[in-house]
Amino acid sequence: MTNLKRILVALLALTMIFVLAACDNNSGTSSADPSSTDPVSDTSEDVSSEDPAPTDITVNVFIYDFADPYIASVRDAMKANFESASITADFFDAAGDQALQTEQIQTSISQDVDLLVVNIVTTASDDAAMTVVDAAKAADIPLIFFNREVSDAVVNSYEKCAFVGTDADEAGYLQGELIYDIISADFDKYDLDGNGKIRYIMFKGELGNAEADGRTQYSVEEANRLFTENSLGTLEYYEPAATDLFRPCNWKAADAQNDMQAALGTNPMDSPNAIELVIANNDDMALGAIEALSAAGYNTEGGDKSIPVVGVDATVPAQESIAKGRMTGTIKQDAEGMASGIVSLCSNIASGADLMANTENMNVDSGVAKIRIPYAKYTG
Amino acid sequence: MSAKESARRGNPLTNWMDNYKNLEGRDKARWWGNFFINNALYIVLIILIVIVTVQKPEFLRLRPMLDILQRSASGLVMALGIAGCIVLTGTDLSAGRVLGLTACVSASLLQSNDYGSKMFPGMPKWPTVFVFLLVIAIGALVGLVNGFFVSKFSLHPFIVSLATQLMVYGTILIYVNQGTNAGKPISGIDKGYSEFIKGSVIPESWKTPIPHFVWYAIILTVIMWFIWNKTTFGKNMYAVGSNPEAANVSGVNVALTITLVFVLAGIMYGVSGFIEAARIGSNSASTGLNAELDAIAACVIGGVSFTGGVGRISGVVVGVILLNMISVALQWLAVSADWTYIIKGVIILAAVSIDMQKYLVKK
Repeated sequence: MTNLKRILVALLALTMIFVLAACDNNSGTSSADPSSTDPVSDTSEDVSSEDPAPTDITVNVFIYDFADPYIASVRDAMKANFESASITADFFDAAGDQALQTEQIQTSISQDVDLLVVNIVTTASDDAAMTVVDAAKAADIPLIFFNREVSDAVVNSYEKCAFVGTDADEAGYLQGELIYDIISADFDKYDLDGNGKIRYIMFKGELGNAEADGRTQYSVEEANRLFTENSLGTLEYYEPAATDLFRPCNWKAADAQNDMQAALGTNPMDSPNAIELVIANNDDMALGAIEALSAAGYNTEGGDKSIPVVGVDATVPAQESIAKGRMTGTIKQDAEGMASGIVSLCSNIASGADLMANTENMNVDSGVAKIRIPYAKYTG
Repeated sequence: MSAKESARRGNPLTNWMDNYKNLEGRDKARWWGNFFINNALYIVLIILIVIVTVQKPEFLRLRPMLDILQRSASGLVMALGIAGCIVLTGTDLSAGRVLGLTACVSASLLQSNDYGSKMFPGMPKWPTVFVFLLVIAIGALVGLVNGFFVSKFSLHPFIVSLATQLMVYGTILIYVNQGTNAGKPISGIDKGYSEFIKGSVIPESWKTPIPHFVWYAIILTVIMWFIWNKTTFGKNMYAVGSNPEAANVSGVNVALTITLVFVLAGIMYGVSGFIEAARIGSNSASTGLNAELDAIAACVIGGVSFTGGVGRISGVVVGVILLNMISVALQWLAVSADWTYIIKGVIILAAVSIDMQKYLVKK
């Protein structure tokens, strides 16, 4: 019995040493295959192994959070696209934890996958993305970031790195345009108290997220620019004493509903300082706000009283809500377009072409390999 | 017995006044000290209300109070369940995810038949009662697993529920990808179900509707109060919480009591999921994330002690109201987001520390 234990311990120790050696080798030299029986392999062998079966590649996709409904729709579209391109893809969930995602990526690199597709968790600083790029670069594995934006410096630091996403600020600008379109159609009707200004409440997503920041800032700025240009009154925040011109609701419907309800307490709909416009960074928060409004008799299905509510994403529930006249408009994020953009880059690698080959028809930033999938206004 | 004496006994206020008058000067000071410690939570509540009202007098109107009541009602159901686990010196981290799962299940099975993007197209809406029973069963099942591993393997509930929470989350992720859904938020719930939760018996002309779920929360509070205070099970729960060995010696089935507390908690999470699904109207895999932390904070604020065997339903109610009052008050005061977190943390810490004094004094 003790003998058996000793043998087991010895075996375990040996395996660990072996694995450690393999990992070390992997990060030290350019690229090795730890899954093969021979831990020592040179680069020439590695290059030749990439050449033969061109369509037979393994892609690992790292999602920042499986629970995000919009990313779920991108993931779904990607799955279908990968299948039709006959590329094997595995999906991983970081559940909003950058440390976990970095570990997941390192594990994949040690398994020597052919391509990494990363929906990075941390967007507020470059460090996390840079760590990932450095690891991929050391292993000579191509890398595509998507949706959650990384800086130009990160993408430019590695020639086999690209970004597929939207322009974070564009959704904000478009939302501003949408607000202007809706309200300028009949300014006096939407200006409930007739003070020449539109009193709005803003529901913001995650604090420190580039997309949330862009949407929060530019939607109001752009709407105000257009209003001023056409000599109409501008937007003013519902709470004059507030230092932050938004309610932080972390993309969540429940939080937005609670905050909207409290805002309807400070600014009741039947008072002279009623809220006249709801702006949300995403559709879920817009829908939460609508639930609170409908408890006060506004924005109900078939009801006669409503104020404009705008979101971003054009999720299915939002589209349904718009069709019922409860929500006013949203900005469509093209999940299909993003998925097909990513998969077409993956196909480039599968066929042995450059990562950024065949992107002439796409909207690519100048000087950096960033592909922009356009947004669109959606009002049903 | 003289008439005067019986009148005294019948009137606690005069009784109390007489007692106070009979005290010496130093004792009076101590009496006030005890008074502040014993009623710390209510005093914090009143101070909060006063601060907000000074700045915004409209705060004391009916509608803002009802807003706080509504928020509290939706959080209370989960807190009532989790409180039992805390009385057993435990905790339950799976609560939020169970809420998420049961909310998604409720919403998906009760989507209205004419909703354009039904999760299960062609499947008619279930009877509301069936769905209610189903989500209760789901909650009870998770509670059973928690309770079983806590009692039979003597594992700390923190670890057990940490594990079950992961399993439930995985199940949610699988579930939201069923049918035609592909991870989208589940919405378009049936009118009848929505009315059952959010409808109001008070006529709309009063302008202060009280949604049904507030009444449900009150009914559940009464039921839980009865279970905790008037049943053998409730008494056993306190006994096991304060000293499991002693409870065992005096003939209490400790394992069964622990298991039942967790099952009961699971049932409450199921009910809260059923309510939240209709209240929020848009349910995704992130629904319920970290909801247990608010519930645990509310319980602890309300004097349900992590040392076990201590806690009252009334405390849970006050804790939940205080926690929601803080959130609403800070929004009324237009406090910026960063400071909101800091102030919330400070108030929770202060309230709990003062409240703990009364148990320390007793011990």
